[in-house]
Amino acid sequence: MKLSIGPVLFEWGRKGFIEFYRRMAHETPADILYIGEVVCSKRQNLDPDELLRLALEIRQLGKEVVFSTLGLVMTPEEVQTIGEIAHYARQEGFAMEANDMAAISLGEANKDKPGIPMVAGPHITTYNPETVDFLASIGVFRVVPPVELSQKSIQGLFGSLVTTPPLEKEVFAYGRLPLTFSARCYTSRAFHLPKVNCQFKCADFPDGMVAHTQEGQEFLVMNGTETMSGKLFNLAGQVDILREIGTHIVRISPQSRNMVEIVMIWKNLLDRKIDSIEAMARLTEANGGENFCNGYFFNQPGLDFVAM
Amino acid sequence: MKKIEVLAPAGNLPSLRAAVDNGADAVYFGFRNATNARNFEGLNFNDEEAAQGIEYARKRGVKANIVLNTFPQVGDPAIWYESVDRAARLKADAIILANLALLRYCKQRYPELPIHLSVQASASNHEAIQFYQRHFGITRVILPRVLTVTEIRRLREQTDVELEVFAFGGLCVMAEGRCYLSSFVTGVSPNIEGVCSPARAVRFDDSENRLQTRLNGVLIAQYEKGEEAAYPTVCKGRFQANHKTYHVMEEPGSLNILGMLAQVIEAGVVSLKIEGRQRTRSYVATATRIMRQAVDAYYADPKGFRPKMGWMRTLNATSEGSTHTLGTYEENWQ
Repeated sequence: MKLSIGPVLFEWGRKGFIEFYRRMAHETPADILYIGEVVCSKRQNLDPDELLRLALEIRQLGKEVVFSTLGLVMTPEEVQTIGEIAHYARQEGFAMEANDMAAISLGEANKDKPGIPMVAGPHITTYNPETVDFLASIGVFRVVPPVELSQKSIQGLFGSLVTTPPLEKEVFAYGRLPLTFSARCYTSRAFHLPKVNCQFKCADFPDGMVAHTQEGQEFLVMNGTETMSGKLFNLAGQVDILREIGTHIVRISPQSRNMVEIVMIWKNLLDRKIDSIEAMARLTEANGGENFCNGYFFNQPGLDFVAM
Repeated sequence: MKKIEVLAPAGNLPSLRAAVDNGADAVYFGFRNATNARNFEGLNFNDEEAAQGIEYARKRGVKANIVLNTFPQVGDPAIWYESVDRAARLKADAIILANLALLRYCKQRYPELPIHLSVQASASNHEAIQFYQRHFGITRVILPRVLTVTEIRRLREQTDVELEVFAFGGLCVMAEGRCYLSSFVTGVSPNIEGVCSPARAVRFDDSENRLQTRLNGVLIAQYEKGEEAAYPTVCKGRFQANHKTYHVMEEPGSLNILGMLAQVIEAGVVSLKIEGRQRTRSYVATATRIMRQAVDAYYADPKGFRPKMGWMRTLNATSEGSTHTLGTYEENWQ
């Protein structure tokens, strides 16, 4: 199985964003890096041409680079930005991760342009093999199933499909779960600011702003317009099952702390240098003793944790 | 001038008749199975009821749309495809679909059946709408509750697909069809089972001085005595963030578009959808009647149109928490 680092979902600023990807490219054995803004178009850490330059730089180090795109597209300007990213992807031979049907539409071949190889990201509602089949017919070569799907559903998604070459199956395996998007920014709301004047408050929360229940349970993380799980999702204990169900790529979602170490733990796990028990112990330590969740994988509430 | 359509929900035949009798231009309903997002006990239509409902509506010049807005599941997709067949056999005026595979099936098998793109497909921009039009010939899109009226007007300029918006009722504040908050807490997903925050996962804990609402054990909100408690959906919960306790995402309450009705009509929307197939016959009757009166009042005097206090009071009485909001339609909501 290959290892991918998903798009940075938080606001780390231009410098933080570029530094993060350079570090991941130079210091980790990750095979695939997804780069590009998924959560909020106001952030625009990098313009499409800057994104391209960073992608070219990272590709030279032998990494596969995929452009990620916005999850909830609401304005013509946002469509245009995806169009520019699609243009560079087409021109320079990069793949593009679609998280809204606008991106699928822009990546598709038409009478004037060839299609772009596309990844159906976790925000595309790929719930059944017939949908996978349709997406494959318009240029999707890799699918990241919605995070709420169970092991059985993930397995079944690709079950009956005959494509050449076979579709790649990438599973979101580690990180805060991206649960949903809204037009409203919950971070600026916490400061009584409208989104139009958000003052980029999300930049003060490098791993999102925690929302506790009134009993003190770390329940959700608010990340601008995105709502995420309070706990880190973690399938390190289920890596054998991931292998059995034919997973090609395991996705690790970026966090601000100890990311190189976390990628190394996963790499060692995938290479069978350490087992799941050791990987879980090390990941717990790297996160200051944090509890994990993995319920979705077992067809249970997403916030549950099922032990190995 | 063609008037904007008043589109009413029907969870059963009596509600459908109430909608028609109170001035709906069109009604929408689903089958009694997991293929629609209001898959609740005792709700929805079998074939015979659907046929009766369509006949009742059609005799009175009212259209009937059938909803199939969940996503077929791995290993058990037959019920969804059969339900498309049933909608076609019943000669619905339109079928409301969200899933790519069902859209393709319907387009290939029943090219004459008009397709409305469900809100669950979460198409909120012209490019996505064009995609569905190009591949499946959709004639209408039901917009997710994420756009302001200004954004809807701009969207209208970029597509000839009809725009339908939610006008009244429950307010989802997330990108519909792509919200996993319910399954995160309860394991039950609107996209899979057609249910958000199922009643069986809800608990109201009433003690001496406070009321707690829980969803699968998770404390969603806590109310002082005398405060009105809302149904515990995660997005309307009261949590602690940034050193405060508040409704982190949205206050409980209902969407009510009347305060911006003129702007919505002038933005070029063709249909005003009332949410609430799970609600009572009396709710359907009231909401439909008021929406009818408001729309007629607008066309009688577009420039002088103001929502009447009486309408607002009557509608508020039907809403959760008896409060209403213009929701996303208003610029500063975001």
